[in-house]
Parts: sequence; structure tokens; C-alpha cells
Amino acid sequence: MKISDRVRLSIAVGIAKIVTNIVRSLKLGAASVLPGSISRRLHPRLLSLLFEQIKQGVILVVGTNGKTTTSLLLKTILENQGYKVTHNASGANLINGLTAALLADADITGKLDSDYAILEVDENVLPLVLKDCQPKYILGLNLFRDQLDRYGEVDTIAQRWGNAIATLPESTTIVLNADDPTLAYLGQNLKQRVIFFGLNEPELYLEAIPHAVDSIYCPSCGHLLDYQGVYLSHLGDYKCPSCGFAKSETAINSQEWSQILIGVYNKYNTIAAGLLALEIGIEKELIFDAIKNFKAAFGRAEELTIDNKHIRILLSKNPVGMNETIRAVKDIQQQGKASVTLLVLNDRIPDGTDVSWIWDTDTEQLVQQGGTLIVSGDRTYDMALRLQYSGEELEESARPFQLIIEEDLSSAINKALSLTSVEETLHILPTYSAMLEVREILVGRKIL
Amino acid sequence: MELSIGWLYPNLMSTYGDRGNVICLQRRCEWRDIPVVVIPLDRTTEAEKIALVDLIVGGGAQDRQQEIVMRDLQGAKAETLREKLQQGTPGVFTCGSPQLLGHYYEPALGQRIEGLGLLDLVSKHPGINAARCIGNLVFEITAEPLATELKALWGDTPIAIGFENHGGRTYLDTVQPLGKVIQGYGNNGEDGTEGAFFHNAIATYSHGPLLPKNPFIADWLIKTALQNKYQTSIQLSKLENSLAYAARKAMLQNLGLRNLVTTRDEQ
Repeated sequence: MKISDRVRLSIAVGIAKIVTNIVRSLKLGAASVLPGSISRRLHPRLLSLLFEQIKQGVILVVGTNGKTTTSLLLKTILENQGYKVTHNASGANLINGLTAALLADADITGKLDSDYAILEVDENVLPLVLKDCQPKYILGLNLFRDQLDRYGEVDTIAQRWGNAIATLPESTTIVLNADDPTLAYLGQNLKQRVIFFGLNEPELYLEAIPHAVDSIYCPSCGHLLDYQGVYLSHLGDYKCPSCGFAKSETAINSQEWSQILIGVYNKYNTIAAGLLALEIGIEKELIFDAIKNFKAAFGRAEELTIDNKHIRILLSKNPVGMNETIRAVKDIQQQGKASVTLLVLNDRIPDGTDVSWIWDTDTEQLVQQGGTLIVSGDRTYDMALRLQYSGEELEESARPFQLIIEEDLSSAINKALSLTSVEETLHILPTYSAMLEVREILVGRKIL
Repeated sequence: MELSIGWLYPNLMSTYGDRGNVICLQRRCEWRDIPVVVIPLDRTTEAEKIALVDLIVGGGAQDRQQEIVMRDLQGAKAETLREKLQQGTPGVFTCGSPQLLGHYYEPALGQRIEGLGLLDLVSKHPGINAARCIGNLVFEITAEPLATELKALWGDTPIAIGFENHGGRTYLDTVQPLGKVIQGYGNNGEDGTEGAFFHNAIATYSHGPLLPKNPFIADWLIKTALQNKYQTSIQLSKLENSLAYAARKAMLQNLGLRNLVTTRDEQ
């Protein structure tokens, strides 16, 4: 690094650290964005200067769902091996969030001595990040419909990823989900080293392709894909009857792998992190140990105990994510271990201001299962309306479920806790900003 | 008495929760004990089947999917749909669907896509760098005789509440606008019009989805479809709408449109 760079870097980092201290001491939050924003103005090459110092390499994790959980598992596996890992643990995954995460681990002169940086990156921001960063690995999890008010369409995002990745050296390793046709197609057309993970467990097939599905058409020729079976959303075993495009061969056999947390979506997160760890050279047995002992990231199937009551928070921010959390909750309800579910729908910028996506989710599954459904959040009545229309009966007395409407989130949580017995788990399904609020109320502390 | 709802390309044209319109119509029939079937009208559907439906619902689509639809909706299928709507079959068409029913749609990239030419309107995308029209949408339905009939059903000025998210802009020629914009962009963000109304077809940029929060439109569609089918005047039984009222009121208040909260919404 040039002396002038070193000096400017040091000034930028110093100021960022002061900002962090101010934000934290005034209890304004965890300072996961602002220091990044300020210091990048002070030094435009800041991000690349920080990235260059990571000793073993940078790992970028992208995808619509599962980034936080997958990154955390991978981080745990690496840390168990004694590596020092920089990570944007708070889930702030836009440029300023990444910068803040790197800054947090740098000393006052801007020096970093991490072995790896594992950074979850917003799907729309990846091309921008790749201008400043030459990662050693990119892990692509999936592409679903999410926040279309902010972002483009799934096809467009995949194309932009492809163009951005094409500028990277061929030594970069790209780890992709073979079960997602959009990503398999992307991987099959890259010149970099590409390895795939995916499920080969037909016993996990869904009975039908859910409605909230984007990519059932061949990304190569546009013909309808022929699915042997679907694991979730459009992820499955498929081939194109017209042009021959098909699921890529996977580098691991998913049947040999147990999983973290609950739900098929977490099986994907497990094997994604697992395959990347294997690629780094970590032994399978050690990875399996980390999987066995894994603790959830905040709000992602995170479990808490408050007043003797067991709570599981399942972030539900888009149709695919919510369908999968409903599937998991239904499973637990069928075992008689849960009967109360709290749904919290917000419409702030991080949630997406358009809440029409709730009509693409299969809330009918939740309603059929019965029990008590409590709704809250900025858009309480929109969610209540969705649940009302999920039922075959309009008359409250004829419904298999009880619907409770409580605009005030604290009251809604208290109500939900009081209706949950000590033998049961209360499930909370919040959107992103709602999840932060729920946690703040339950734990008494802000995360962001 | 029974109703059959034709759903245009459910897999290709339902990007923004527009399935909610189908769910809403279906449930509001079921809750009144009116037998109802939903028939997907997709690429495998024959024109004869399209001819049999009493009510048609079409949703929005991504550009690629919209092109697949436009390529499929040709010949006898296009002719049947055109005839039905000309004969007064009611329908609700959101976002991409009105573009499909107009003369043409010019996407941001690529070739102009010819529409059915049923509605006298054209749609154009001003280019990939142009901002999309995104946000909550509130409009007063002014098209006649729809507005008068909705007023009779609802008991108040028909104010529709939804969410718009479109890159393309629509310009009307001789076709009647569905309504006038109170909040949001509407057809093009320039002339204050929203949607179009032709015979009994409602074309709109309003997702949300449109019908659950505006149940009077859903009931008008059901009533009109049944009246057309059985050639007799139909009175639908009243349904309890308190959650829709509450959702409307919350949104209007949130948008600073407290003055539009009607006595209906207060119930």
C-alpha cells in the first residue's frame, strides 16, 4: 500500500471508529451502517484497500433467502479451525454495511489481520461490490421473487450477476445451487471454476409446484421445464425437454448430510456452507460437528425462552420464505408442539413497501391447521384480510382457527405468550423490520 | 346458479399477488353458497374452453413471461377472448393484462409487442433508465355506468385503494378511463387517468391485490357475471366487510387522506 493511501486510510478509519463509539454510547444502534457511509466519503478506495488485506480470501454469499444463516454456519466452521473471520453479522448487506463490518475489525491505522472475510451481499449490490473486490469464492444460494418494488426481475438479476462475475479471474471459485435453474444456467456458462450443491432426496419432494414460483421456464430456450420433483419453490430436479438443459451434477451427496435448525430451506443452507468449507479444505467430520452444535442467527429460526415460554422467530419476508416457514410450523403443530402463531407484517423500506406478496403465499396451509393466529404490524389489517380469505368459512364460529387482531406489537406479543402453554412453542413470523422490533421487545436491545 | 372464473395464464401472469383477485372472487362466491370453479386459461387451453367462462381475471407479468403470453394468445384464442369481452363478459385485468388488451406494448428493450387491440390504448416503456411508477395508488372510479352501479352496491363514492408497480406507461385514446388518480401515478403519471373501462372489462394498474380491499368491485364483477349468464336481475347477499374497512381506513389515514375515509370505512 502506498504511504499516501495508508495515511488517508488511517484518517478514514479513525473517524469511522469515533462515529461507531458515538453511535454506540448514545445507544443509537449497533453502528452497522453509518461508519461505512462516512468513511467511504473520506476515502473512495477504502473498500478495496480493506478487502486486499484479507489473508486467505474473501467469500461473498448471495441469494434471496438464507444468506445470514449460511454465512453464520460457514463462519462457525472456519472459526472452529482457529481462523480469524470478519463477517457482517448484523445482516447489513449493502455497500456501507460491508464497509462497516471490515472497519469494525480493522485497527486504528486501518490494518486488518483476518484470515477470511465472509460477507453476505444483497443480490442487487453484487455487481457493485465486485468492482472493489476480487473474492476467492462466491456462494450463490437461490433467486426468488423478493421486493419487486425495489428490484428488477429474477432474470435480470441473474444476467447482471453473470456479467459481473465474467470480469473476475478464472481462479475464482463459484459455488452454486444446482436445483435452481437460473443459477445452474448461470454456472454452466461461466469460465470460472464452478461447483454445485443440491438435494438428491426425492422423499422431500412437494406434492405440487407452489404458486409463488418464478422460474419454471428454461433459462436457455424458454420452454416449460420438466420437473421430476420440487423441493421448494422452483428448486428441484428438472430438465428441459426441448434444448436438453438440465440440473448440473452436484459435488456432494445431500443424503449423507444432517442439517441445522428446521425446514428444507435450512438443509440447503447447510449443504451450501458445507460444500464451501470442503472446498477450503476442512475435513468433513469437523464440518459435521459444527452443524450438530449450530446456534441460529437472530430471527432465523432463532429460539428464545421468555417467562418460561419457548419462542421461535422465523423471518418471513417473501412468498418463498413464508411458504417454507409455514411448512415448518405446520409440521410442528401436527406433532402437537405448537398452537399459537404470531404474524407481523410491516411495509417499511427494508421490508418492501408493497405487501401484495402475502397473496402469493399459501396461508391456507396455516389456516387449515387451526390453532390461534395473531396478527400485528404496520399492515395488521392486510394480513388479517389475507387470513380471512384463506378460510373456507367467513363466520368466525365456523372457522377452524381463531383470529386475533392486535395493532400494538407489544400487546400482540404479550397476548401470544399468554396463550402459549409451557409445553408448546410460540412461532413468530415477522418481516425484516418487524423481526428487529420483535427482538427488541423480547430481548430489550436493538440490533441495528 | 354457478359461476366459472377463467384465470389468464396463472403461472405466467401473477407476479405481484394478483392471485388475490381470484381468491377474493372465489371466496365471496363460496361464502354466499354460489358454486364456483376456477379454470386456468393457459397455453394448453383450447379456444372453446375460453368461450365457456363467465368472468375473466388477468394479472401482471414480468416482461419475458408477458412475451410468452402474447405469442400464445393468437388466432382462435385471441378471437374468442375479444368476442367475449365485446359481448360484455366482465373481467378485471391488472398491469400487464391491459397492456395485452391494448393496441401494442413497447418494452424498454426489444420489439413492440402487438396486443389484442380491444382497448383503444397503447403502452410504452420510456427506457430502462426511466424510473418505475411504484407506490400506493388511490383513485376514484368515474367510468360510467360502473361508477353509478358501484355506488349502489357500496353506498358511497367508489374510491379504490391499491399498489402500483409498472415501468410501462399507458395512453388512452377513445376508451373511457376507469377513474381519476387521487394518489399515485396511474396510467402514465401525466394526465391523471387510471385504468380503462370497456363494456364490462376493468383494466387497471392497481395491484394490492385490487379486489380484497375494494370488495364492492369484486361483488360488482360477480353480480354482473351472473346477470349476464342467467339474463335476470341478481341481488347478492351482503357479506361482512369489517376487515376490508379497517384495512382501507388504515391506508387512507397513513396517506394523509383522512377526508376520504367514508362512513362505510368507519363501520
